[in-house]
Amino acid sequence: MEQTTVKKQDGISPGTVSSSTHKEVSTCSITVNGKSYTVPKGKTILEAVSALGYSIPTLCHLNEVSSNASCGVCVVEVKGAKSLLRSCVTNVTEGMDIHLATPRVLAARRTNVELLLANHPKDCLSCIRNQNCELQSIASYLGIDDIRFAQTRKKLLPLDTTSESLVRDPNKCILCGRCVAVCSEVQGVNAIDVMGRGAKSQVATFFFKGLGNVACTNCGQCALVCPTGAIVEKDHTKEVWKALQDPKKVVVVQTAPAIRVGLGEAMGMDWGSLVTGKMVAALRRLGFSKVFDTQFTADLTIMEEGHELIQRLSNGGKLPMITSCSPGWIKFIEHFYPNSLAHVSTCKSPQQMFGAVAKTYYAEKMGIDPRDMVVVSIMPCTAKKYEAKRPEMMGAFHYWQARLNLLEKDKFYDVDYALTTRELARMLKQASIKFDALEEEEFDDPLGHSTGAAVIFGATGGVMEAALRTAYEVVTKKHLQSVDFQAVRGLEGIKSAEVDLNGTKLKVAVAHTLKNARILLEQIEKGESPYAFIEIMTCPGGCLGGGGQPIPTTTEIRKKRAESIYREDAGKGIRKSHENPVIQKLYKEFLREPLSHVSHELLHTDYTKRGVY
Amino acid sequence: MNTSVMPAASEQQILDIINRFQGKPGALLGILETVQESNPHKFLSEETLQLIAKHTGTPLSRIYSLATFYSFFNLQPQGEHSIVVCRGTACHTRGSRVLLEDLTYLLDCADFLESGENSFTTKDKKFTIKTVACFGQCALAPVVSIDGVIHSRITSARLKGIIEKLAKGGKKHE
Repeated sequence: MEQTTVKKQDGISPGTVSSSTHKEVSTCSITVNGKSYTVPKGKTILEAVSALGYSIPTLCHLNEVSSNASCGVCVVEVKGAKSLLRSCVTNVTEGMDIHLATPRVLAARRTNVELLLANHPKDCLSCIRNQNCELQSIASYLGIDDIRFAQTRKKLLPLDTTSESLVRDPNKCILCGRCVAVCSEVQGVNAIDVMGRGAKSQVATFFFKGLGNVACTNCGQCALVCPTGAIVEKDHTKEVWKALQDPKKVVVVQTAPAIRVGLGEAMGMDWGSLVTGKMVAALRRLGFSKVFDTQFTADLTIMEEGHELIQRLSNGGKLPMITSCSPGWIKFIEHFYPNSLAHVSTCKSPQQMFGAVAKTYYAEKMGIDPRDMVVVSIMPCTAKKYEAKRPEMMGAFHYWQARLNLLEKDKFYDVDYALTTRELARMLKQASIKFDALEEEEFDDPLGHSTGAAVIFGATGGVMEAALRTAYEVVTKKHLQSVDFQAVRGLEGIKSAEVDLNGTKLKVAVAHTLKNARILLEQIEKGESPYAFIEIMTCPGGCLGGGGQPIPTTTEIRKKRAESIYREDAGKGIRKSHENPVIQKLYKEFLREPLSHVSHELLHTDYTKRGVY
Repeated sequence: MNTSVMPAASEQQILDIINRFQGKPGALLGILETVQESNPHKFLSEETLQLIAKHTGTPLSRIYSLATFYSFFNLQPQGEHSIVVCRGTACHTRGSRVLLEDLTYLLDCADFLESGENSFTTKDKKFTIKTVACFGQCALAPVVSIDGVIHSRITSARLKGIIEKLAKGGKKHE
């Protein structure tokens, strides 16, 4: 296949900060703690000294996204300056004499953190972020042994539990503004902002309606950047423990591609450690009766979505067609661009296809009553919790309704619980599993079988690449020489490419983050979109940078996880979804063909026009 | 007495106001102020804020952030008469706390002092009491603004006289 043009657009990668886009590479001389250095001009003190082997503590600065200088922890002393300066918003200048740890600096940092701690709850031991909290770490690093300021908040503020995916605790909020910045600057969603002022300031939604009642996409990027436990995933581990201990239930688990490159970090291993085999072994030790792979239904998604694209191309259907795997993106378009919903593929996401197939095909094959089956999914994503509870995600129930004379009260979801990577890590720790010492194990048959095309669903551009691998061979009936589509890989905000399918030129685009998705949607709504097929992932870097992944998740860590994803793909014997033998068997025995009647019943869905106002 | 809430500005009226501010810097604040003033109860309802957000392309969270930041904006219907007591430093040292206390006893809303809120409207919707940090009239402290008119070096006795006159249905205080 020829990839005739490769266009990578500049300046739209998520959160480019102006200070790092300076073209002229002039330098200036500075001294830090009495030592002389030459550093590039146009950098902040924080950026400049971090390249020199220092790390200035900060609670509000968020690399590449925001610096609102609200926490006052990053102050440094600069000779000649009247007051201490916030290093996150002060640029280096020629001859600057900077001191990072004078008694005055340390005293100011301590005072600022003590002020934050005065009203902060002291229930660290029972907080979800215990031992993974920046406020806790900084208090420890600064040697805070006393909080001199009395608590001024008289009554606890109410929690926001309206969302299916996230819980906000304003009492733990230190008003750093990172969540507001990421929701606005990276995602362009603006679900939250700082309300009120002074001592009454709070991060909240429009009229305090709660995240579940406003245009929030549940992406969870806010939870990923929160320095404390003020916004966290809604925990479902207790429910899963209960199911695992119920002898009447058959509890099966599916794992998304991005878990195998993230879970290791939460278990104390290096960034981006590839832990597929250990993860399977650990899940078996937790007591799941079968350990299956969401990648199996990622391959199935490619079969359905690939054929949907071919059908749209040949029947004059709505183009461009846009992928539908990312539930944050789905809720985003339902709220912000409801008139463009016809562009979205009708395919359910791999998580939902898995639930529907497990509770029909697999349950039937194994003679399990679908009512006794519990499907748990491990996802890098908080939005998957919401997706699993959408009323239309009961394909298996409707399939069995007539066959088993089920009543309304018997209703069950295709996926019972969606846990984030972080929740799984907590369960493994509770179960005393020594993760790094586990021998690698294999997924169970049949729903654990997947190809390289399915692995790369975890990275931005992966669904596109997987779809192209299959679409090319289905359309041209020719063998694809190289399966690596480099043009759609990498962390650029929007990538585009043109591929040649037997003389038909197919223009495709890939976007990650919802702010980038907006750019492509504006083109579509103006009738100016040159593309036939678009992949959109909600989170920066794709699922591997999802809102349910281990904290921290930074650009550097995303790159490491992506490397592992592509390494896993390259090592797979089969790298094209349509060559997955179990998928072929599933069609032969059950679904018959892509886009068949049964497929439509179980694997496809429709969307809701939600709007914003 | 009719205490029902009168109709707020229609979508068309809001659109007209937005158009008037087109291209002016800080337009949103001006729009919010004008829409609030056009409301018979001097407040911005949820529906009104939604309409302004929609027609100015402002996120809902942003507009609510703005409306809750400035004490000038009201999110609840206001009483017929507005009484604003300055609680700035100069007024405080010249007895504004006592003025406020006397006012709340007079209007039977002593709870307001303990509530931590900065606005209170009497049950009969006759008066809204508010506090502000400073009017910038420190030389004339203590000051109280009644229906937009600032009364300088005011005493509890004078304040009582004005309130009683207004309560009896006297004309809007000029």
